[in-house]
Amino acid sequence: MLNRKSPPTRQIPNKINITKAEEITLSNGVRLLVIDVGSEDVCRLDFNFFAGSRYQQKRIESRATLAMLTEGTAGLTSHQIAEKFDYYGSFCEHATDRDFGKVTLLSLNKYLDQSLQVLEKVIKRPSFPEKELETYRIKGKQSLIVELEKVTTLARQDFFKGLFGNTHPYGVYAEPQDYLDLQRNHLIDFHHKFITANRCTIVLSGKIGNDELNTVIKHFGESNWGAESTVLVDFPTISTPVQKKFFSLKADAVQSAIRIGRQLVDRKHPDYCGLVVLNTILGGYFGSRLMKNIREDKGYTYGISSSILTLKELCVLVIGTEVGAEFTFPALKEIYAEIDRLKVEPVSEAELDLVRNYLLGELLRSFDGAFAIADSITSLFEYNDLDYHFFEKTIETIKTITPEQLMNLANVYLRSNDLTECVAGPVSNLN
Amino acid sequence: MIEIEKFCLDNGLRVIVHNDNSTPIVSFNLLYDVGSKDENPNRTGFAHLFEHLMFGGSANIPVFDEHLERTGGENNAFTNNDFTNYYITIPKENLETAFWLDSDRMMSLAFSKKSLDVQRNVVVEEFNQRYLNQPYGDVWLLLRPLAYTMHPYGWPTIGKNVDHIKNVTLTDVKEFFYKHYAPNNAILSVTGPVNTKEIMNLSKKWFGEIDKRPIALRNLPKEPKQLESRKLEVERDVPFNSIYKVFHMNSRKHEDFQATDLISDLLSNGKSSRLYQKLVKEHNLFSDINAYITGDIEEGLFVITGRLFKDTTFKIAEMAINNELESIKNTSIDGYELEKVKNKFESNFKFGEANPLDKAMNIAFYELLGNANEINLEVEKYREVSAEKVKAVASKIFTETNCSTLYYKAKSNGSSSAE
Repeated sequence: MLNRKSPPTRQIPNKINITKAEEITLSNGVRLLVIDVGSEDVCRLDFNFFAGSRYQQKRIESRATLAMLTEGTAGLTSHQIAEKFDYYGSFCEHATDRDFGKVTLLSLNKYLDQSLQVLEKVIKRPSFPEKELETYRIKGKQSLIVELEKVTTLARQDFFKGLFGNTHPYGVYAEPQDYLDLQRNHLIDFHHKFITANRCTIVLSGKIGNDELNTVIKHFGESNWGAESTVLVDFPTISTPVQKKFFSLKADAVQSAIRIGRQLVDRKHPDYCGLVVLNTILGGYFGSRLMKNIREDKGYTYGISSSILTLKELCVLVIGTEVGAEFTFPALKEIYAEIDRLKVEPVSEAELDLVRNYLLGELLRSFDGAFAIADSITSLFEYNDLDYHFFEKTIETIKTITPEQLMNLANVYLRSNDLTECVAGPVSNLN
Repeated sequence: MIEIEKFCLDNGLRVIVHNDNSTPIVSFNLLYDVGSKDENPNRTGFAHLFEHLMFGGSANIPVFDEHLERTGGENNAFTNNDFTNYYITIPKENLETAFWLDSDRMMSLAFSKKSLDVQRNVVVEEFNQRYLNQPYGDVWLLLRPLAYTMHPYGWPTIGKNVDHIKNVTLTDVKEFFYKHYAPNNAILSVTGPVNTKEIMNLSKKWFGEIDKRPIALRNLPKEPKQLESRKLEVERDVPFNSIYKVFHMNSRKHEDFQATDLISDLLSNGKSSRLYQKLVKEHNLFSDINAYITGDIEEGLFVITGRLFKDTTFKIAEMAINNELESIKNTSIDGYELEKVKNKFESNFKFGEANPLDKAMNIAFYELLGNANEINLEVEKYREVSAEKVKAVASKIFTETNCSTLYYKAKSNGSSSAE
């Protein structure tokens, strides 16, 4: 008779095989990272530029520049570019955050050369046609207006504005009018200064053979492109927030959005890995304390989590949830209760053991397939200057941190007075 | 090409194995052939609520997630109109834990009152979060009953309204479990660094002793052919007007399915697609426009959604959409454009196969359709679609009487209402 009561024996991998990227410095100085893992004949090519919104002079310049790259180049109209990418079954995407501007191409290997012929023009010689810019302006404005209807958007914006100040590069947000104020010459200027070879790292992942590699080198590695930019952009000092409570009214909402958190040390700080463990216990996985209490015990929400966001200069701890409007106060109370519990009550060995194993599994999962590996390695070079040792340090901390150390961290980093709290929802529940 | 091996246990559980040594993680995907289409029209949202209850403990294991997390695993699930899908990703060393956990909850749930009480609330908040507290969030609560008068696709997976969820009892839960959760109503797919022999041993060991259960033959009410166009107008506190048009289409296994999917790609897959180029870029009528198919197993919907610019009236918007549909019906698509959407499909499909977990889910889905191996024929089926076929299928689907239209009007924006 099978024993169903007790779990099968489990093993926790002692060592995690970290797939490293092959690192190549191309003749024009561009750093190329290659991750050759995969069975399908497809690949992904990421261009990561130091060209996030922190470098812009006017709001949305960075995002608009990246978005408009595919809207016209020397010799190709927006429509022609779209036709070519679509015809070859490629996907050209862009993303911007505070620190980075990124262009990603997904391509079938058999059409990589054709796709890169277009992408080369897109990245090196965009023309930013006024007509396309006008479409971008009105579309962008309209979708931002829709976004601003959501309580999650309001709470998130209040949170970062509150944390860094609403004029700081890490706290500033675009307003609908900013789209209308966009000028073509802003984009030309931003592209000239920031979308350049010397601000770029390229990551090539998937099933990569010599053909794929040589194709990429041919289009992006031989000659220098973009200005030899040595632009220094002033980055204002980050100060500690003064006001710590924010509320945005959305009278007809049926749920309130909540964000609570603080500025945190960067990933190189000795406390960082321990904070990852602490955050996981609090709200970093399905079985976390916040989930158990606020969803699985009280049913106030569909989901609640706490996470550590990584920025170039520091990290941010943020707890986020949407709760039934009538549960706003009880949920806040429970969130603070869970935070306080971390400071006075050592985590049990059973819970800590679970979290250790969960985190090791997560780490292993971040090497599940070529693109997952590319993401993990990209984040390494962005925030730890490609130090694989970081993974080992993380594993070491996960395995050895003690309940007392975690309690100490909670007492240093989770002081109620240091937390910024933002709520967006109907006011009637918050008086 | 995905190499697949299959076997079936005596109790009817179908198991599919695909070896992939490029990852340290195993994807373990268990699909049950039950979705919201199997619900009682007065108890909608049940299949999905039930999915939540599957995490509330089973006969021998009070807490599901903890054991998985303790072995470095991660899991989740989703429900749609057709089926319910549970998936786990776990380090290879601990694969047996997945078998232990999922076989126990297939054998019997704990049927805990506390779990039901809490998950009812959680699902109500999910309803709030996804359908009520988002601009345009209630669209599918309006469109489905407009398009379907008889068929259970007339309600969304979350349910017709929250009262249905609030009224569920433990008796309902037990009844539903034994009616639909059974080895002979499930498909297990396992992908990753595994071989068929070990999966067969583990399957027999953990699932083998679960008895077959009587599963009633599915007998869904047939949707009568729609004979006249349907229209609905609502006013909501949203910033912009939106239009939604849905047409009845063929089922997933119908020979027209691939052509129908390609038509939706012609219209709106990628920035070079017709609706985007003509109606967004050229004529500046919409800020956003999309066409897609629901992809349901039974006869589903071809959907067009557009968000209007402030100066665009509903009448102009609708005419512009109709013109594009007429053009597919009347003018044969040229070879270049057809090749383009086929390439795009192939690429999409290949990228889906490049993600280990997606691959496991897709294999199980194709087995549900009839045969997991058919996943390897799909690209070819799309390749075979001819220009004539596209035209013929479009003419069948895009008729006025086959269409339901929703005008979703912005309250503050009364001036650009329908005429």
